[in-house]
Amino acid sequence: MDKAISFEQVTHTYQANTPYAQNALADVSLVIPNNSFTAIIGHTGSGKSTLVQHINALLKPTKGSVQVLGKVITSATTNKNLKAFRQHVGMVFQFPEKQLFEETVIKDIMFGPKNYGVSDADAQQAAKSAMKLVGLDESLAEKSPFDLSGGQMRRVAIAGVLAMKPEILILDEPTAGLDPRGHKEIMDLAQQLHDKDQMTIILVTHQMDDVVNYASQVVVMDEGKIVKTGTAAEIFADPGWVYKMQLNLPSSAEFAQKLVDSGVPIGKLPLTIDQLATKISQLVAEGADTDE
Amino acid sequence: MNNFLFGRYLPGNSWVHQMSPQSKLMLSFYFVIVIFFANNLASYAALAALIAIVILLSGVSILFFLKGIRPLIWLIIFTVALQILFSAGGTVLWKWGPFSVTNLSLINGGFIFIRFLLIIMISTVLTLTTTPLAIADGVQTVLKPLKKVKFPVDTLALMLSIALRFVPTLMDEMETILNAQRSRGVDFGSGSLKHRVQAAVPLLVPLFTGAINHAENLSTAMEARGFSDSEHRSKYRIYRWQLKDTVSWLVFLLVGGLVLYLRK
Repeated sequence: MDKAISFEQVTHTYQANTPYAQNALADVSLVIPNNSFTAIIGHTGSGKSTLVQHINALLKPTKGSVQVLGKVITSATTNKNLKAFRQHVGMVFQFPEKQLFEETVIKDIMFGPKNYGVSDADAQQAAKSAMKLVGLDESLAEKSPFDLSGGQMRRVAIAGVLAMKPEILILDEPTAGLDPRGHKEIMDLAQQLHDKDQMTIILVTHQMDDVVNYASQVVVMDEGKIVKTGTAAEIFADPGWVYKMQLNLPSSAEFAQKLVDSGVPIGKLPLTIDQLATKISQLVAEGADTDE
Repeated sequence: MNNFLFGRYLPGNSWVHQMSPQSKLMLSFYFVIVIFFANNLASYAALAALIAIVILLSGVSILFFLKGIRPLIWLIIFTVALQILFSAGGTVLWKWGPFSVTNLSLINGGFIFIRFLLIIMISTVLTLTTTPLAIADGVQTVLKPLKKVKFPVDTLALMLSIALRFVPTLMDEMETILNAQRSRGVDFGSGSLKHRVQAAVPLLVPLFTGAINHAENLSTAMEARGFSDSEHRSKYRIYRWQLKDTVSWLVFLLVGGLVLYLRK
């Protein structure tokens, strides 16, 4: 697999050379392969958002270099050339509904493509298919985005990013504040974009269940450093360490851990609901056997 | 965005930090008035010496004061240039059309420059050593006598502290929206004037929407906690007049007298 993104010893200092100077990233090196689904986890203030903003060239490294789809960003990169970086990297911010501003839903979704020089007709086409992707009814196209519900506004904002047809999609806590159904729909959309449209997905999240259900690679951050990279199974293999990072186990693992604590022999902790159900039905079957 | 000096409080425990906000506020006003009485080198020198002592006592690096001047540098240059090119009197040194430079206009230009510098310095000392909330409290104390004529001093002070409280929030929000629109391909701060004005719309609409939402949420939260402006409110932060305030006032009054004595 080709690498889509690579960080080489990236350090980022906010407000360098002032008394407010703060190291948000310290000597971070990371490779994110093409068409991977990477989850970035870590407690609040661990540097996740700073990390992903580098991928979109919204921040430039203070030291080191970032390579995105073959283009290199260092502290010396001039602001003029940054737009080219952003075209292929879509970024859905936390509470992205805050960025809506146009008179109608369709205009807001067309805004991104048009900024990158796509013709009106093509932008409209892209906007319509993006609306379909995120599950917005076509009848909403001419409505004001400010008349929609919170969940619908979130979808409009995500559609506005998808209409640019990015190769890399960054989702920064995309489901915060959504109801369970909205949550599942957005996460399934991310999976579909990954599987069908071959997008490289980067998900910043606090939902460990999403990590085990969707991500193929997990990056754990703490105090501006990457402390562990691996599959979900590798990351959650050591519950003590996970808690030390101020993170949680996925709910299935947590449930299984409680069973272990009360004397049920589970063995390796299951991570997903399916694994947990299989494990329990096995135990029940074995229990039935020993009863006989 | 980050070199915005407004509301840039630097925590500290210096003489100036410890003074009560109301007296710092009044001293700054007083100092600005005194500046306008100064009209020769000796009187300006006295004021410059005083501000140098204040800056030393504030324990804040001089770099912060120089940064405070930067955003105003064009205003200062423009005013000084007007003063130099258009004031009459004195020996003419250079003349071109309606413009003339005389020895007097040069001196006046220099004085205007010093005036600007002094005013920026004193107000920077105030904002660097006093939290925005303390300044709002100071304003409330200073305006208290106006209550006699039914002026809503408390409401005004509340409005002021709410406004100050939301400056950092709205700045953060602006940063986020800027970034969000940047990643949707907006180029802020480049291109023609028309292009730049157009680029402001995707920034301002969400910013205003956000501000109005904040206001609504805040008013709901205040009402839920039983807020009413007709109530007499006690204070959580109380700033007492201290010996340091008295000493500072004596020194400032003394220098004020000196300026009146030294001026032509």
